[in-house]
Amino acid sequence: MVTEDGDTENKYKRADAAETSSERRAPVGRRRFLQAAGAGTAVALAGCSGGGGDGGPVTLGAAYILSGFASLYGEEAERGIEFAVSEINDNGGIDGRDVEVLVRDTEASGDTAIQQIRSLVQEDNVDGLFGLDSSGVAQAVAPQISQLQMPFMITHAATPFVTSPQGEHEDSVGNEYVFRDSNSLAQDVYGAARTAQELDATEWATIGPDYAFGYETWDYFQAYCDGLGVEAEFTAEQFPALATSDYTPFISSILDADPDAVLTPLWGADLTTFIGQAESAGWFDQIDHTLFSVGMGTDLPSDGSPLPEGEYASTRYDPFVPDTEANNSFREAYYEEYGSLPTYNAEGAYRALHLYKEAIESAGSTEPDALVDEFTGMEHSGPVGEYQFTETNQATVSSIWGTVTYDEEWESNVLDPVNRYEAGPDVLSDALGDSDLPTGI
Amino acid sequence: MSATDTGGRVSRFGSAVAEGWTRERLGLLGAVALVLVAFAPPFQVYLFTDFLVVALFALGFNLLYGYTGLLSFGHGLFYAGGAYGIAIVLRDLGPVIADVVGAGISPLVTFVLGGVVGLALVVALAVPVGWLSVRLEEIYFALITLAFGMLGYSLIIQDPAGLTNGTDGVIVLLGTVDLGGFSLRIGGRRIYYAISAVTVVAAVYGVWRVVNSPFGTVCKAIRESPDRAAALGIDVSHHRWMTFIVSAAVVGIAGVLRAGLASVASPGLTHWSTSAIAVIATVIGGATYFYGPIVGAFIFLYIRWAISRFPALEAYWELFFGALLIAVVLFFKQGAVGGLLLLRDRLFGDGDADDAGSGGGGARDDGGQATAATDDGAESGDDNARADRGDNS
Amino acid sequence: MSLTSLVPLIGIADVVIGLSLGSRLFLIAVGLSLIFGVLGVLNFAHGGFYMLGAYVTLAVVSNVVDNFWVAAVVGALAVGVVGAAIEFSAIRRLYDRVDSDLDQLIVTFGFVLVIHETVRFVWGSGSYSIDPPDVFNFSVTLGGSTFNAYRLVVIGLAVGVLVALWLFITRTYFGSLVRGTSSDREMAAMLGVDVPRLYTGVFFLGSVLAGLGGALSAPLQSTSPALGDQVIIDAFIVVVIGGLGSMSGAFVGAMLIGMMQSLGPQFISAGSIAIPFLAMVIVLLIRPEGLFGGIGE
Repeated sequence: MVTEDGDTENKYKRADAAETSSERRAPVGRRRFLQAAGAGTAVALAGCSGGGGDGGPVTLGAAYILSGFASLYGEEAERGIEFAVSEINDNGGIDGRDVEVLVRDTEASGDTAIQQIRSLVQEDNVDGLFGLDSSGVAQAVAPQISQLQMPFMITHAATPFVTSPQGEHEDSVGNEYVFRDSNSLAQDVYGAARTAQELDATEWATIGPDYAFGYETWDYFQAYCDGLGVEAEFTAEQFPALATSDYTPFISSILDADPDAVLTPLWGADLTTFIGQAESAGWFDQIDHTLFSVGMGTDLPSDGSPLPEGEYASTRYDPFVPDTEANNSFREAYYEEYGSLPTYNAEGAYRALHLYKEAIESAGSTEPDALVDEFTGMEHSGPVGEYQFTETNQATVSSIWGTVTYDEEWESNVLDPVNRYEAGPDVLSDALGDSDLPTGI
Repeated sequence: MSATDTGGRVSRFGSAVAEGWTRERLGLLGAVALVLVAFAPPFQVYLFTDFLVVALFALGFNLLYGYTGLLSFGHGLFYAGGAYGIAIVLRDLGPVIADVVGAGISPLVTFVLGGVVGLALVVALAVPVGWLSVRLEEIYFALITLAFGMLGYSLIIQDPAGLTNGTDGVIVLLGTVDLGGFSLRIGGRRIYYAISAVTVVAAVYGVWRVVNSPFGTVCKAIRESPDRAAALGIDVSHHRWMTFIVSAAVVGIAGVLRAGLASVASPGLTHWSTSAIAVIATVIGGATYFYGPIVGAFIFLYIRWAISRFPALEAYWELFFGALLIAVVLFFKQGAVGGLLLLRDRLFGDGDADDAGSGGGGARDDGGQATAATDDGAESGDDNARADRGDNS
Repeated sequence: MSLTSLVPLIGIADVVIGLSLGSRLFLIAVGLSLIFGVLGVLNFAHGGFYMLGAYVTLAVVSNVVDNFWVAAVVGALAVGVVGAAIEFSAIRRLYDRVDSDLDQLIVTFGFVLVIHETVRFVWGSGSYSIDPPDVFNFSVTLGGSTFNAYRLVVIGLAVGVLVALWLFITRTYFGSLVRGTSSDREMAAMLGVDVPRLYTGVFFLGSVLAGLGGALSAPLQSTSPALGDQVIIDAFIVVVIGGLGSMSGAFVGAMLIGMMQSLGPQFISAGSIAIPFLAMVIVLLIRPEGLFGGIGE
């Protein structure tokens, strides 16, 4: 097992650092699994008595990537869930009932995710659903959610098409049951274009994963640059398959095109692999600016500094901004518990539980349709700040982009300076100009 | 739900040839069981539908492996062919069909048409792919089918024709039939189960008829000794080709059903790791028996489900099947069906065990050990149902 | 776009990268080919062996001894032992069966699942990477393009392995036994060759090569449980194109596929990842024995 060790003279790269922390966390994960197993039994019993405000626990189902190249995301979400569950249950639960969460692995596959979600609803009789890390998975799951007629709070997967009402665009699959409390790709990439506006770079390229998310990021970026009047040429694009173990040929191809700046939506272990291989190919010497649109998701929990300092990255939640009581106390308590700053995936999952708490208490029931009514147009605030769900069930959270900087105090990369761009429906719609891409908000 | 119940269900057709009233009784039992499943909790209905689809996939695969000795590692190509066929019809032709036949009935018409197109696509693929592949044998056949499967995978991913939507696959929305107050959601769990059950039962019966036709007898003769068969004037490669096409078509039907069940036609269907599912199910169930793949699929899905009830183990279910696969090939080539028949012999002696509890063939039993093959279509029950591999395992 | 306008895009780095990718493919494919040539076993688990080599190397270098080369040798030998154990305990039981080829393929496929899950259990499902050994960990800039010097080391070692294997098979006593047994097993047994031991030995050697490939590639790629499944398909393509059982064929096939992987992204066009599979199909149909000869050639 790779461990951080002074004697190894900094020999191991970031991947190891990330792994080390995941190894260290493993016991936590396993404990959660056992709790989940116990919860499963409890639910089966509660199910017999008919459920509904009878004093049994409120059971929520979550689906995240817990294995494979992006398992760090699932582990982060599990922390957020664990944190929220103990916080809620220590403070009187939801209307006096304890809350339990069953977490299932989507294996980053739409097929598996649908099966797991179906099993959560039909076998475990959960009262509500949340989660999802991958755009492709979310796209496949959304139509199923409306058939299962159960609210689903997406906390990470970013494709705008799940919050774009069916029919708006040929890929739109949004419906009344699907919500998202984190920001969408359309919001996130808007910030990328705003960042690009400030940079001295005209030739742009991308290297992204070979599925909807990679292509949509690039499509939206080009549309925003056009709409915002950013002087940019788009000179190269590479879309390697997910879980590629050697990015060198793709890196080499981008370097040959010699762009000024690159926007990359690579994520999970793929990103860590890419950064290591890009460094040894001289990427960060040759390319002036690299913009990482998903980088901070697994950056914060790792011990080293996976993202190179001075490059740009976005996050869906920043542990320091807004400087509010809610955010500061969340950050401090979370850091106390886990020894690392909360990532956006932890925060998104954490907030989903609080959204359910508020909706169930306000509706006085766990009826799916009542919860959907509560979520629709709900105003809420959490560590991420204040926001509202729009007509398309998308939270009006800001787009957050900043410069990657290592912070000694927190022993972690942070975004400093950091910019928050308001990314509401009108802003996005203006910025998209003539493009036929939906705002997803 | 135990393996015994399923044995009853799957044995309907095995018993259909048995003499006397046992046949009706078993058929009725199986039919009743299939109907009863429809009233199970929704997730169990889903799981059972999943089992039926995988069973048909494995059965189609085993038509080639068990009956002609050709091991394909590329049948996922036909699984995906069926799935993409219906998915693309639903996506692109849905509105057109609604204009022609009216919006109320159009989801059903589109579904049926999609299924037919999916099947036609698979046959159109299997004709050239099979013609080329059957020129090779053994390892080389496994390799060329693997290459064809992965070729399909690459093309679906890269999507040069703009039809398959790359890595994300094509979403399948089955829609609702609406006829003057009568409304029926095709994708509804129980409705879809009914559609799948009827289709799978019909397809299994069809395969069973093929296997027991003179054509099937020739296939078995080829498997036992291609040279001897050729000496008897049989066109070996022509017969293999035809079997390949039938086998692919059966898998294609499973693919069509898979698309509706999973709600998405994804490229993973034609990846070799999906093709391997048919291999695993067939080998575990017993490739030497007609019902082997069905029982194997049952074991595959229900053990996987049982493992998934224990989250600590869930991540490692492949380990279990890997070990099981090795153990079956090394020590008990007859697989689960062979094991069940052996068990029945031990329990009931060699008599007329006409109860449905025996898993494999149902009707008559000539001893579980796959020893000397009485390769003879006139015998009843298991003899027909078995593919009688004469290996000395 | 005309050919002349494309040529300047190919940097020297692209060629070096392609050859280094080919080298790692050669190390896995040559073992696969050797085992098939002598034992007639197509080892589906060979990709798993490659992956295991990388993992053991990473584990040794970080926990036991901080020397990449020692760790790589330990990794390769450990995989050899695992391979020999699998041959001895499982595959050996199948040689005398009527349809032994397919049973062997299925059993080794079973080991694909077992190795994959075992690796996941021990090391988790994340990915690991390490830097190349310090001596070679510097950038080389040639003709305006940059690559890591360690790639040249990997290419050199692959060529070295090819030469050493060729000498071993053609010039040594053990090599002559291997050649004899591969062409006629019964005859060799009659002449007093201990065929079972020879088989285990060859399986050990083939596994060591796969493990070595994994170990040497560890600094050039990320190591995750998915690695074995990815690489085995490439290895199948290589051995089919080069000819199952042919070592020089494995080398040429590996370099061809390596170059294709390196230059592919330059000429990205729909269907480009399909080309290797198409080539595999065509070679199987036209020349199933591969483009190059049999063992030792």
